[in-house]
Amino acid sequence: MSLKSLDPRVTRLNLPDGEVPAMEPKPELDQFETYEAFHQKKEGAAHTYVGPVHAPNEDVAFLFAKEQYSRRFPCVGLWIARTENIQVTPYAGDGENVYDMLRIEEPAKRSEQAEPYEIFHLKKRGKAHTHAGRVVATSYLEALQEAKNQLGEKGPIVNVWVVKSKDVLQSAEDDKDMWTTVPEKKYREAIAYKVMDKITKFKEEQKNLTAQ
Amino acid sequence: MYGGGNVFEATKFDNLQTEDPAKLAEFEARIARGEKIEPTDWMPELYRKQLIRMIEQHAHSEIIGALPEGTWITRAPGFRRKMAQMAKVQDEVGHAQLLYSAAETLGKSREQMLTDLINGKSKYSNVFNYPAFTWADSNIISWLIDAGAIVNQMANAKGSYGPYSRALERICAEEAFHLKYGHDAVVHMATGTPKQREMIQAALNRWWGPIMTFFGPSDKMSTHTETLMRWKVKMASNDECRQQFLDMYVPKIWELGLTVPDPNLKKNQETGQWEYTEPDWDEFKRVINGDGPCNAERLAVRRTAEERGAWVRRALLNPKAKYVKPLA
Repeated sequence: MSLKSLDPRVTRLNLPDGEVPAMEPKPELDQFETYEAFHQKKEGAAHTYVGPVHAPNEDVAFLFAKEQYSRRFPCVGLWIARTENIQVTPYAGDGENVYDMLRIEEPAKRSEQAEPYEIFHLKKRGKAHTHAGRVVATSYLEALQEAKNQLGEKGPIVNVWVVKSKDVLQSAEDDKDMWTTVPEKKYREAIAYKVMDKITKFKEEQKNLTAQ
Repeated sequence: MYGGGNVFEATKFDNLQTEDPAKLAEFEARIARGEKIEPTDWMPELYRKQLIRMIEQHAHSEIIGALPEGTWITRAPGFRRKMAQMAKVQDEVGHAQLLYSAAETLGKSREQMLTDLINGKSKYSNVFNYPAFTWADSNIISWLIDAGAIVNQMANAKGSYGPYSRALERICAEEAFHLKYGHDAVVHMATGTPKQREMIQAALNRWWGPIMTFFGPSDKMSTHTETLMRWKVKMASNDECRQQFLDMYVPKIWELGLTVPDPNLKKNQETGQWEYTEPDWDEFKRVINGDGPCNAERLAVRRTAEERGAWVRRALLNPKAKYVKPLA
Protein backbone atom coordinates (compact mmCIF):
# COMPACT_ATOMS: atom_id res chain seq x y z
CA MET A 1 0.00 0.00 0.00
CA SER A 2 1.26 3.46 -0.74
CA LEU A 3 1.04 6.56 1.38
CA LYS A 4 -2.14 8.62 1.01
CA SER A 5 -1.85 12.35 1.54
CA LEU A 6 -4.19 15.35 1.51
CA ASP A 7 -1.82 16.68 -1.12
CA PRO A 8 -2.43 14.77 -4.38
CA ARG A 9 1.15 15.45 -5.47
CA VAL A 10 2.44 13.57 -2.43
CA THR A 11 0.03 10.69 -3.04
CA ARG A 12 1.29 10.46 -6.63
CA LEU A 13 4.83 9.85 -5.37
CA ASN A 14 3.69 6.31 -4.44
CA LEU A 15 5.72 6.33 -1.26
CA PRO A 16 5.64 3.17 0.85
CA ASP A 17 3.23 3.25 3.78
CA GLY A 18 4.15 1.77 7.15
CA GLU A 19 7.53 0.75 8.50
CA VAL A 20 10.46 1.48 6.21
CA PRO A 21 14.08 0.41 6.70
CA ALA A 22 16.37 3.14 8.04
CA MET A 23 18.15 5.27 5.46
CA GLU A 24 21.84 4.55 4.99
CA PRO A 25 23.86 7.31 6.64
CA LYS A 26 24.63 10.05 4.14
CA PRO A 27 28.15 9.73 2.78
CA GLU A 28 30.78 12.30 3.64
CA LEU A 29 30.60 15.43 1.45
CA ASP A 30 27.04 14.57 0.33
CA GLN A 31 26.38 18.21 1.30
CA PHE A 32 29.59 19.48 -0.33
CA GLU A 33 32.21 21.88 1.01
CA THR A 34 31.50 25.17 2.70
CA TYR A 35 32.08 28.70 1.47
CA GLU A 36 31.79 31.95 3.41
CA ALA A 37 29.77 34.86 2.02
CA PHE A 38 30.18 38.62 2.51
CA HIS A 39 27.66 41.15 1.29
CA GLN A 40 27.85 44.86 0.54
CA LYS A 41 24.72 46.62 1.70
CA LYS A 42 25.19 49.84 -0.23
CA GLU A 43 27.64 51.62 -2.53
CA GLY A 44 30.88 52.40 -0.69
CA ALA A 45 30.08 50.29 2.40
CA ALA A 46 32.56 47.63 3.54
CA HIS A 47 31.73 44.01 2.76
CA THR A 48 30.32 42.27 5.82
CA TYR A 49 30.14 38.59 6.69
CA VAL A 50 26.66 37.11 6.29
CA GLY A 51 27.26 33.38 6.72
CA PRO A 52 28.26 30.11 5.08
CA VAL A 53 26.81 28.11 2.20
CA HIS A 54 27.39 24.52 1.10
CA ALA A 55 28.24 24.17 -2.59
CA PRO A 56 30.14 21.98 -5.06
CA ASN A 57 32.14 24.91 -6.46
CA GLU A 58 32.67 28.63 -6.26
CA ASP A 59 30.14 29.57 -8.94
CA VAL A 60 27.35 27.56 -7.37
CA ALA A 61 28.35 28.94 -3.97
CA PHE A 62 27.86 32.41 -5.41
CA LEU A 63 24.36 31.55 -6.66
CA PHE A 64 23.37 29.93 -3.37
CA ALA A 65 24.72 32.88 -1.37
CA LYS A 66 22.86 35.30 -3.60
CA GLU A 67 19.60 33.46 -2.89
CA GLN A 68 20.32 32.87 0.76
CA TYR A 69 21.70 36.22 1.81
CA SER A 70 20.66 38.86 -0.70
CA ARG A 71 17.16 38.03 -1.87
CA ARG A 72 15.33 39.93 0.86
CA PHE A 73 17.42 43.00 1.73
CA PRO A 74 19.31 45.68 -0.21
CA CYS A 75 22.60 44.45 -1.65
CA VAL A 76 25.00 45.81 -4.25
CA GLY A 77 27.88 43.36 -4.02
CA LEU A 78 28.75 39.83 -2.90
CA TRP A 79 32.08 38.10 -2.16
CA ILE A 80 32.60 34.36 -1.78
CA ALA A 81 35.60 32.53 -0.32
CA ARG A 82 36.16 28.84 0.34
CA THR A 83 36.21 28.30 4.09
CA GLU A 84 39.41 26.30 3.74
CA ASN A 85 41.22 29.32 2.27
CA ILE A 86 40.48 31.63 5.19
CA GLN A 87 42.98 31.74 8.06
CA VAL A 88 41.60 32.67 11.44
CA THR A 89 43.28 34.10 14.55
CA PRO A 90 42.21 33.10 18.05
CA TYR A 91 39.35 35.14 19.55
CA ALA A 92 40.15 37.87 22.08
CA GLY A 93 37.65 39.09 24.67
CA ASP A 94 35.32 42.01 23.99
CA GLY A 95 37.13 45.34 24.29
CA GLU A 96 40.55 43.78 23.60
CA ASN A 97 42.70 44.00 20.51
CA VAL A 98 43.71 40.55 19.31
CA TYR A 99 46.73 41.97 17.44
CA ASP A 100 48.29 42.90 20.80
CA MET A 101 48.03 39.31 21.97
CA LEU A 102 49.44 37.60 18.90
CA ARG A 103 53.07 36.71 18.58
CA ILE A 104 53.42 36.69 14.84
CA GLU A 105 56.37 34.47 13.99
CA GLU A 106 58.45 34.34 10.86
CA PRO A 107 56.51 32.37 8.26
CA ALA A 108 57.89 28.95 7.40
CA LYS A 109 56.81 29.29 3.81
CA ARG A 110 56.50 32.35 1.66
CA SER A 111 55.81 32.82 -2.00
CA GLU A 112 58.34 34.33 -4.39
CA GLN A 113 56.15 37.23 -5.17
CA ALA A 114 54.11 39.41 -2.92
CA GLU A 115 50.36 39.24 -3.54
CA PRO A 116 47.29 40.97 -2.11
CA TYR A 117 45.34 39.61 0.89
CA GLU A 118 41.94 40.69 2.19
CA ILE A 119 41.65 41.37 5.92
CA PHE A 120 38.40 41.07 7.91
CA HIS A 121 37.95 42.30 11.49
CA LEU A 122 35.40 41.32 14.12
CA LYS A 123 34.85 44.25 16.49
CA LYS A 124 32.66 42.50 19.01
CA ARG A 125 31.78 38.88 19.70
CA GLY A 126 28.41 37.90 18.21
CA LYS A 127 28.64 40.60 15.54
CA ALA A 128 29.81 40.03 11.94
CA HIS A 129 33.33 40.26 10.47
CA THR A 130 33.78 43.34 8.30
CA HIS A 131 36.30 43.98 5.54
CA ALA A 132 39.03 46.20 7.01
CA GLY A 133 41.27 46.49 3.97
CA ARG A 134 43.81 44.90 1.69
CA VAL A 135 47.52 44.30 2.32
CA VAL A 136 50.32 42.97 0.12
CA ALA A 137 52.44 40.13 1.50
CA THR A 138 54.30 36.92 0.66
CA SER A 139 52.49 34.72 3.21
CA TYR A 140 49.41 34.63 5.47
CA LEU A 141 51.58 35.46 8.48
CA GLU A 142 53.22 38.39 6.79
CA ALA A 143 49.77 39.55 5.73
CA LEU A 144 48.69 39.39 9.36
CA GLN A 145 51.76 41.40 10.40
CA GLU A 146 51.04 43.96 7.70
CA ALA A 147 47.41 44.10 8.79
CA LYS A 148 48.52 44.77 12.34
CA ASN A 149 50.78 47.62 11.17
CA GLN A 150 48.37 49.19 8.73
CA LEU A 151 44.90 48.39 10.04
CA GLY A 152 45.35 47.19 13.60
CA GLU A 153 45.54 50.47 15.48
CA LYS A 154 41.88 51.13 15.96
CA GLY A 155 40.68 48.56 18.46
CA PRO A 156 38.84 46.74 19.78
CA ILE A 157 39.37 43.89 17.31
CA VAL A 158 38.49 40.49 18.72
CA ASN A 159 39.20 38.32 15.69
CA VAL A 160 40.89 38.55 12.28
CA TRP A 161 40.30 36.59 9.07
CA VAL A 162 42.97 36.60 6.34
CA VAL A 163 42.34 35.38 2.79
CA LYS A 164 44.27 35.75 -0.45
CA SER A 165 42.50 38.19 -2.79
CA LYS A 166 42.78 35.68 -5.63
CA ASP A 167 40.72 33.24 -3.54
CA VAL A 168 37.81 35.65 -3.24
CA LEU A 169 35.16 35.53 -5.95
CA GLN A 170 33.77 39.04 -6.24
CA SER A 171 30.59 40.08 -8.00
CA ALA A 172 31.34 42.26 -11.00
CA GLU A 173 30.34 45.88 -11.44
CA ASP A 174 28.28 44.82 -14.48
CA ASP A 175 26.32 42.28 -12.45
CA LYS A 176 24.71 44.79 -10.11
CA ASP A 177 21.41 44.62 -11.96
CA MET A 178 20.86 41.16 -10.45
CA TRP A 179 19.66 42.96 -7.30
CA THR A 180 17.50 45.60 -8.92
CA THR A 181 14.27 43.61 -8.60
CA VAL A 182 14.55 43.32 -4.80
CA PRO A 183 12.56 46.51 -4.03
CA GLU A 184 9.82 45.49 -6.49
CA LYS A 185 8.79 42.46 -4.47
CA LYS A 186 6.77 44.34 -1.90
CA TYR A 187 4.73 41.28 -0.97
CA ARG A 188 7.77 40.04 0.94
CA GLU A 189 7.77 43.01 3.29
CA ALA A 190 5.77 43.44 6.46
CA ILE A 191 4.95 47.01 5.47
CA ALA A 192 2.96 45.82 2.43
CA TYR A 193 0.21 44.44 4.71
CA LYS A 194 -2.14 47.16 5.90
CA VAL A 195 -3.99 44.90 8.23
CA MET A 196 -5.07 47.54 10.76
CA ASP A 197 -7.22 49.29 8.15
CA LYS A 198 -9.19 46.10 7.58
CA ILE A 199 -9.60 45.45 11.31
CA THR A 200 -10.82 48.99 12.01
CA LYS A 201 -13.32 48.77 9.15
CA PHE A 202 -14.55 45.40 10.42
CA LYS A 203 -15.00 46.68 13.97
CA GLU A 204 -16.97 49.68 12.75
CA GLU A 205 -19.26 47.50 10.68
CA GLN A 206 -19.85 45.29 13.72
CA LYS A 207 -20.67 48.36 15.84
CA ASN A 208 -23.14 49.61 13.22
CA LEU A 209 -24.75 46.18 13.05
CA THR A 210 -25.38 46.08 16.78
CA ALA A 211 -26.58 49.68 16.79
CA GLN A 212 -29.26 48.94 14.19
CA MET B 1 9.30 29.32 12.13
CA TYR B 2 10.06 27.05 14.95
CA GLY B 3 8.45 25.08 17.70
CA GLY B 4 9.87 25.33 21.14
CA GLY B 5 9.00 22.46 23.34
CA ASN B 6 12.61 21.68 23.96
CA VAL B 7 12.75 19.09 26.64
CA PHE B 8 16.12 19.54 28.23
CA GLU B 9 16.71 16.11 29.60
CA ALA B 10 19.76 15.51 31.69
CA THR B 11 22.46 13.83 29.67
CA LYS B 12 25.45 11.88 30.76
CA PHE B 13 27.47 15.03 30.14
CA ASP B 14 25.62 16.71 32.95
CA ASN B 15 28.46 16.02 35.30
CA LEU B 16 30.50 19.21 35.27
CA GLN B 17 33.09 17.73 37.62
CA THR B 18 34.90 16.28 34.63
CA GLU B 19 35.44 19.77 33.21
CA ASP B 20 38.61 21.77 33.83
CA PRO B 21 37.61 24.13 36.68
CA ALA B 22 39.79 27.05 35.52
CA LYS B 23 38.43 26.91 31.97
CA LEU B 24 34.89 26.48 33.21
CA ALA B 25 35.25 29.56 35.45
CA GLU B 26 36.64 31.60 32.56
CA PHE B 27 33.79 30.44 30.30
CA GLU B 28 31.14 31.30 32.88
CA ALA B 29 32.73 34.68 33.58
CA ARG B 30 32.63 35.53 29.87
CA ILE B 31 28.91 34.74 29.69
CA ALA B 32 28.24 36.64 32.92
CA ARG B 33 29.93 39.71 31.38
CA GLY B 34 27.46 39.47 28.50
CA GLU B 35 30.03 38.34 25.92
CA LYS B 36 29.14 35.81 23.24
CA ILE B 37 30.87 32.46 22.86
CA GLU B 38 32.45 31.87 19.44
CA PRO B 39 33.11 28.47 17.80
CA THR B 40 36.80 28.04 18.67
CA ASP B 41 36.38 29.00 22.35
CA TRP B 42 36.66 26.34 24.98
CA MET B 43 33.18 25.21 26.10
CA PRO B 44 31.82 22.53 28.45
CA GLU B 45 30.63 19.35 26.75
CA LEU B 46 27.11 19.91 28.13
CA TYR B 47 26.94 23.35 26.49
CA ARG B 48 28.05 21.94 23.13
CA LYS B 49 25.66 18.96 23.23
CA GLN B 50 22.61 20.97 24.27
CA LEU B 51 23.24 23.66 21.67
CA ILE B 52 23.72 21.15 18.86
CA ARG B 53 20.50 19.45 19.87
CA MET B 54 18.55 22.68 20.14
CA ILE B 55 19.84 24.31 16.95
CA GLU B 56 19.50 21.06 15.02
CA GLN B 57 15.87 20.64 16.14
CA HIS B 58 15.25 24.23 15.16
CA ALA B 59 16.72 23.61 11.68
CA HIS B 60 14.63 20.45 11.21
CA SER B 61 11.52 22.39 12.26
CA GLU B 62 12.15 24.96 9.55
CA ILE B 63 12.63 22.41 6.80
CA ILE B 64 9.68 20.23 7.87
CA GLY B 65 7.58 23.30 8.70
CA ALA B 66 7.85 24.35 5.08
CA LEU B 67 5.82 21.27 4.05
CA PRO B 68 2.29 22.00 5.37
CA GLU B 69 2.41 25.51 3.88
CA GLY B 70 4.30 24.46 0.77
CA THR B 71 1.47 22.13 -0.08
CA TRP B 72 -0.85 25.16 -0.49
CA ILE B 73 1.34 27.09 -2.96
CA THR B 74 -0.27 25.49 -6.00
CA ARG B 75 -3.75 26.05 -4.61
CA ALA B 76 -3.32 29.53 -3.14
CA PRO B 77 -6.25 31.80 -4.02
CA GLY B 78 -4.81 34.34 -6.43
CA PHE B 79 -1.44 35.23 -7.90
CA ARG B 80 -0.33 37.65 -5.21
CA ARG B 81 -0.99 35.14 -2.43
CA LYS B 82 0.80 32.46 -4.42
CA MET B 83 3.87 34.70 -4.70
CA ALA B 84 3.78 35.60 -1.01
CA GLN B 85 3.26 32.00 0.11
CA MET B 86 6.15 30.92 -2.09
CA ALA B 87 8.40 33.64 -0.66
CA LYS B 88 7.52 32.58 2.86
CA VAL B 89 8.22 28.90 2.22
CA GLN B 90 11.51 29.84 0.58
CA ASP B 91 12.40 31.84 3.70
CA GLU B 92 11.72 28.85 5.94
CA VAL B 93 14.00 26.59 3.91
CA GLY B 94 16.64 29.32 3.96
CA HIS B 95 16.32 29.47 7.75
CA ALA B 96 17.02 25.75 7.92
CA GLN B 97 20.25 26.30 6.00
CA LEU B 98 21.35 29.08 8.35
CA LEU B 99 20.62 26.95 11.38
CA TYR B 100 22.28 23.80 10.07
CA SER B 101 25.41 25.89 9.54
CA ALA B 102 25.25 27.30 13.08
CA ALA B 103 24.99 23.75 14.46
CA GLU B 104 27.85 22.62 12.23
CA THR B 105 30.21 25.12 13.85
CA LEU B 106 29.77 23.01 17.00
CA GLY B 107 31.02 19.89 15.27
CA LYS B 108 28.04 17.93 13.88
CA SER B 109 28.04 17.60 10.10
CA ARG B 110 25.00 18.46 7.99
CA GLU B 111 25.08 14.93 6.56
CA GLN B 112 24.72 13.49 10.07
CA MET B 113 21.92 15.90 11.00
CA LEU B 114 19.90 15.06 7.88
CA THR B 115 20.43 11.34 8.43
CA ASP B 116 19.22 11.68 12.03
CA LEU B 117 16.15 13.64 10.92
CA ILE B 118 15.12 11.08 8.32
CA ASN B 119 15.74 8.12 10.60
CA GLY B 120 13.69 9.71 13.37
CA LYS B 121 16.65 10.06 15.70
CA SER B 122 16.29 13.82 16.06
CA LYS B 123 13.03 15.68 16.46
CA TYR B 124 11.37 18.70 14.95
CA SER B 125 8.51 20.82 16.20
CA ASN B 126 5.59 18.56 16.91
CA VAL B 127 2.96 20.89 15.39
CA PHE B 128 4.12 19.96 11.89
CA ASN B 129 2.90 16.43 12.41
CA TYR B 130 -0.62 17.81 11.94
CA PRO B 131 -2.15 18.35 8.50
CA ALA B 132 -3.23 21.61 6.84
CA PHE B 133 -6.71 20.58 5.65
CA THR B 134 -7.67 23.87 4.03
CA TRP B 135 -6.20 27.19 2.93
CA ALA B 136 -7.42 28.53 6.27
CA ASP B 137 -5.20 26.03 8.13
CA SER B 138 -2.26 27.35 6.18
CA ASN B 139 -3.25 30.90 7.25
CA ILE B 140 -3.43 29.90 10.91
CA ILE B 141 0.03 28.35 10.64
CA SER B 142 1.42 31.47 8.95
CA TRP B 143 0.04 33.69 11.66
CA LEU B 144 -0.04 31.87 14.97
CA ILE B 145 2.65 29.23 14.61
CA ASP B 146 5.01 31.89 13.30
CA ALA B 147 3.95 34.17 16.14
CA GLY B 148 4.86 31.47 18.63
CA ALA B 149 8.14 30.89 16.83
CA ILE B 150 8.97 34.58 17.02
CA VAL B 151 8.39 34.65 20.78
CA ASN B 152 10.86 31.78 21.04
CA GLN B 153 13.40 33.12 18.60
CA MET B 154 13.47 36.64 20.02
CA ALA B 155 14.36 35.10 23.38
CA ASN B 156 16.97 32.75 21.93
CA ALA B 157 18.60 35.51 19.87
CA LYS B 158 19.84 36.94 23.16
CA GLY B 159 21.52 33.64 24.00
CA SER B 160 25.25 33.23 24.44
CA TYR B 161 26.31 31.37 21.31
CA GLY B 162 27.51 33.78 18.60
CA PRO B 163 26.66 31.81 15.43
CA TYR B 164 23.14 30.97 16.68
CA SER B 165 22.49 34.61 17.62
CA ARG B 166 23.69 35.82 14.24
CA ALA B 167 21.45 33.33 12.43
CA LEU B 168 18.46 34.25 14.60
CA GLU B 169 18.86 37.96 13.99
CA ARG B 170 18.54 37.39 10.26
CA ILE B 171 15.68 34.95 10.79
CA CYS B 172 13.73 37.35 13.01
CA ALA B 173 14.11 40.14 10.45
CA GLU B 174 12.66 37.88 7.76
CA GLU B 175 9.87 36.58 9.99
CA ALA B 176 8.42 40.07 10.41
CA PHE B 177 6.90 39.62 6.97
CA HIS B 178 5.54 36.16 7.81
CA LEU B 179 3.67 37.42 10.82
CA LYS B 180 2.06 40.32 8.96
CA TYR B 181 1.31 38.14 5.96
CA GLY B 182 -0.33 35.50 8.16
CA HIS B 183 -2.29 38.07 10.15
CA ASP B 184 -3.50 39.73 6.95
CA ALA B 185 -4.62 36.37 5.53
CA VAL B 186 -6.54 35.50 8.71
CA VAL B 187 -8.13 38.97 8.88
CA HIS B 188 -9.18 38.64 5.25
CA MET B 189 -11.02 35.40 6.02
CA ALA B 190 -12.44 36.55 9.35
CA THR B 191 -13.86 39.75 7.88
CA GLY B 192 -15.13 38.03 4.74
CA THR B 193 -18.21 35.99 3.88
CA PRO B 194 -19.92 33.72 6.45
CA LYS B 195 -18.36 30.74 4.66
CA GLN B 196 -14.87 32.27 5.01
CA ARG B 197 -15.44 33.02 8.69
CA GLU B 198 -16.58 29.47 9.25
CA MET B 199 -13.46 28.12 7.54
CA ILE B 200 -11.05 30.20 9.58
CA GLN B 201 -12.83 29.39 12.85
CA ALA B 202 -12.70 25.67 12.02
CA ALA B 203 -8.98 25.92 11.28
CA LEU B 204 -8.37 27.78 14.54
CA ASN B 205 -10.28 25.08 16.42
CA ARG B 206 -8.13 22.39 14.82
CA TRP B 207 -4.86 24.18 15.57
CA TRP B 208 -5.50 25.47 19.09
CA GLY B 209 -4.45 22.21 20.74
CA PRO B 210 -1.15 21.93 18.85
CA ILE B 211 -0.48 25.66 19.41
CA MET B 212 -0.86 25.30 23.17
CA THR B 213 1.67 22.45 23.20
CA PHE B 214 4.00 24.42 20.94
CA PHE B 215 6.17 25.78 23.75
CA GLY B 216 6.48 22.40 25.42
CA PRO B 217 5.44 21.18 28.88
CA SER B 218 6.23 23.20 32.01
CA ASP B 219 9.93 22.98 32.74
CA LYS B 220 10.97 20.94 35.69
CA MET B 221 13.23 23.27 37.58
CA SER B 222 16.35 21.23 38.13
CA THR B 223 20.01 22.12 38.58
CA HIS B 224 20.33 21.11 34.95
CA THR B 225 17.83 23.76 33.81
CA GLU B 226 19.47 26.31 36.07
CA THR B 227 22.87 25.59 34.53
CA LEU B 228 21.51 26.03 31.01
CA MET B 229 19.84 29.28 31.97
CA ARG B 230 23.04 30.56 33.59
CA TRP B 231 24.90 29.70 30.38
CA LYS B 232 22.24 31.52 28.34
CA VAL B 233 21.35 28.43 26.34
CA LYS B 234 17.78 28.44 27.57
CA MET B 235 16.55 32.03 27.74
CA ALA B 236 13.01 31.71 29.04
CA SER B 237 10.92 28.92 30.50
CA ASN B 238 8.34 27.19 28.32
CA ASP B 239 5.56 28.63 30.48
CA GLU B 240 6.93 32.16 30.19
CA CYS B 241 6.92 31.84 26.40
CA ARG B 242 3.37 30.45 26.41
CA GLN B 243 2.14 33.30 28.63
CA GLN B 244 3.79 35.89 26.43
CA PHE B 245 2.20 34.36 23.34
CA LEU B 246 -1.28 34.35 24.91
CA ASP B 247 -0.82 37.93 26.06
CA MET B 248 0.08 39.12 22.60
CA TYR B 249 -2.28 37.08 20.42
CA VAL B 250 -5.48 36.12 22.26
CA PRO B 251 -6.72 39.75 22.15
CA LYS B 252 -5.94 39.86 18.43
CA ILE B 253 -7.99 36.67 17.90
CA TRP B 254 -10.89 37.99 19.96
CA GLU B 255 -11.04 41.36 18.22
CA LEU B 256 -11.87 39.52 14.99
CA GLY B 257 -14.90 37.99 16.67
CA LEU B 258 -13.30 34.55 16.57
CA THR B 259 -13.48 32.23 19.54
CA VAL B 260 -10.81 30.12 21.15
CA PRO B 261 -11.96 26.54 21.77
CA ASP B 262 -11.10 26.55 25.46
CA PRO B 263 -13.89 27.61 27.84
CA ASN B 264 -11.35 28.03 30.65
CA LEU B 265 -9.14 30.49 28.82
CA LYS B 266 -9.04 33.82 30.64
CA LYS B 267 -6.56 36.26 32.02
CA ASN B 268 -6.49 36.35 35.79
CA GLN B 269 -6.51 40.09 36.49
CA GLU B 270 -4.92 39.64 39.90
CA THR B 271 -1.95 37.53 38.88
CA GLY B 272 -1.73 38.88 35.33
CA GLN B 273 -1.36 35.26 34.21
CA TRP B 274 -3.47 33.43 31.64
CA GLU B 275 -5.43 30.45 32.87
CA TYR B 276 -6.26 27.67 30.46
CA THR B 277 -7.15 24.02 30.19
CA GLU B 278 -3.96 22.01 30.47
CA PRO B 279 -3.04 20.81 26.95
CA ASP B 280 -3.20 17.09 26.24
CA TRP B 281 0.39 16.14 27.01
CA ASP B 282 -0.30 12.44 26.47
CA GLU B 283 -1.26 13.18 22.89
CA PHE B 284 1.81 15.43 22.60
CA LYS B 285 4.07 12.58 23.71
CA ARG B 286 2.36 10.07 21.48
CA VAL B 287 2.65 12.30 18.40
CA ILE B 288 6.21 13.43 19.03
CA ASN B 289 7.20 9.77 19.30
CA GLY B 290 5.88 9.03 15.84
CA ASP B 291 2.17 8.32 16.16
CA GLY B 292 0.74 11.52 14.70
CA PRO B 293 -1.39 12.07 11.60
CA CYS B 294 1.51 13.23 9.41
CA ASN B 295 4.79 12.00 10.93
CA ALA B 296 5.28 9.27 8.33
CA GLU B 297 4.36 11.54 5.45
CA ARG B 298 6.68 14.37 6.52
CA LEU B 299 9.70 12.10 6.81
CA ALA B 300 8.85 10.16 3.66
CA VAL B 301 8.62 13.37 1.63
CA ARG B 302 11.93 14.63 3.05
CA ARG B 303 13.59 11.27 2.43
CA THR B 304 12.36 11.09 -1.15
CA ALA B 305 13.76 14.53 -1.87
CA GLU B 306 17.12 13.52 -0.41
CA GLU B 307 17.23 10.21 -2.28
CA ARG B 308 16.10 11.55 -5.61
CA GLY B 309 18.64 14.36 -5.49
CA ALA B 310 21.55 12.13 -4.47
CA TRP B 311 22.78 11.39 -7.99
CA VAL B 312 22.87 15.10 -8.82
CA ARG B 313 24.97 15.82 -5.75
CA ARG B 314 27.30 12.91 -6.57
CA ALA B 315 27.73 14.15 -10.13
CA LEU B 316 28.58 17.65 -8.96
CA LEU B 317 31.00 16.64 -6.23
CA ASN B 318 34.55 17.77 -6.85
CA PRO B 319 36.80 14.74 -6.16
CA LYS B 320 39.34 17.01 -4.47
CA ALA B 321 36.74 18.52 -2.14
CA LYS B 322 37.65 18.56 1.52
CA TYR B 323 35.22 19.31 4.32
CA VAL B 324 36.01 22.21 6.62
CA LYS B 325 33.33 23.27 9.06
CA PRO B 326 31.97 26.79 8.60
CA LEU B 327 33.79 29.56 10.44
CA ALA B 328 31.01 31.36 12.23
